[in-house]
Amino acid sequence: MRELRFPKELYLGEQVDAALNVFARFGRLERDEDELTWIVRVHAASAAKERRLAGELANYALGATIRARGER
Amino acid sequence: MSEQILAVPDAIARADMGDGSVELFVDESLYPLEAVYGASFTFLDRCFVFLDRPQPGRLRVILSAKKLGASPEVLREMVGEFANELLACAWREKITERNRATIEAVTMQAIGGAMGPPSLDDLEDFDFTEEPFEDPLGIAMSWEEKYGKKTAPPAATEGDEE
Repeated sequence: MRELRFPKELYLGEQVDAALNVFARFGRLERDEDELTWIVRVHAASAAKERRLAGELANYALGATIRARGER
Repeated sequence: MSEQILAVPDAIARADMGDGSVELFVDESLYPLEAVYGASFTFLDRCFVFLDRPQPGRLRVILSAKKLGASPEVLREMVGEFANELLACAWREKITERNRATIEAVTMQAIGGAMGPPSLDDLEDFDFTEEPFEDPLGIAMSWEEKYGKKTAPPAATEGDEE
């Protein structure tokens, strides 16, 4: 399992959700949150797959956040 | 495990060879968040990028090679190129901020021009009382005036000579 903690002040929640929707079919993704962060736990068949899935998911969330902020 | 593969102090950047990643710490008073976003965006196709703010005014950028087993040279190159891009983005941000009024004025003129010629009603409302364009050096001359063929003065007739 790999845990990603996206700070709420840097990542938009709806873009993290969008990333979860896009990558849900590649592994098991758990969504959670605390006061300061969006938490995503990534489960996949192997550690290498988890690393890749977590990385691609984080890239998607960041790219979507930057694009969304630029449009505001 | 964190290793020092870069010629910079650990407080600025450090590498994790096991995970094939580098961490870069960015002072937000030097590099605004928008610049960090801009630099990060250009790296999304090359590596995995993760942003974090471990303490106020300080951002952490984690760059991970997409394939495991990246060499120290690859990581060094990655963090160096990111730092260059970050500097370029910060500088662009500064220029944009400084020239915002000019950019807005030019954009408004361009949009105004694209809206087509003014209507008769617009012309009627236009204030023509403004001072005419001043040209103390006399350089505001049309191309025709400056380079156009000079018309020869009317030839003197015989009658005139007498």
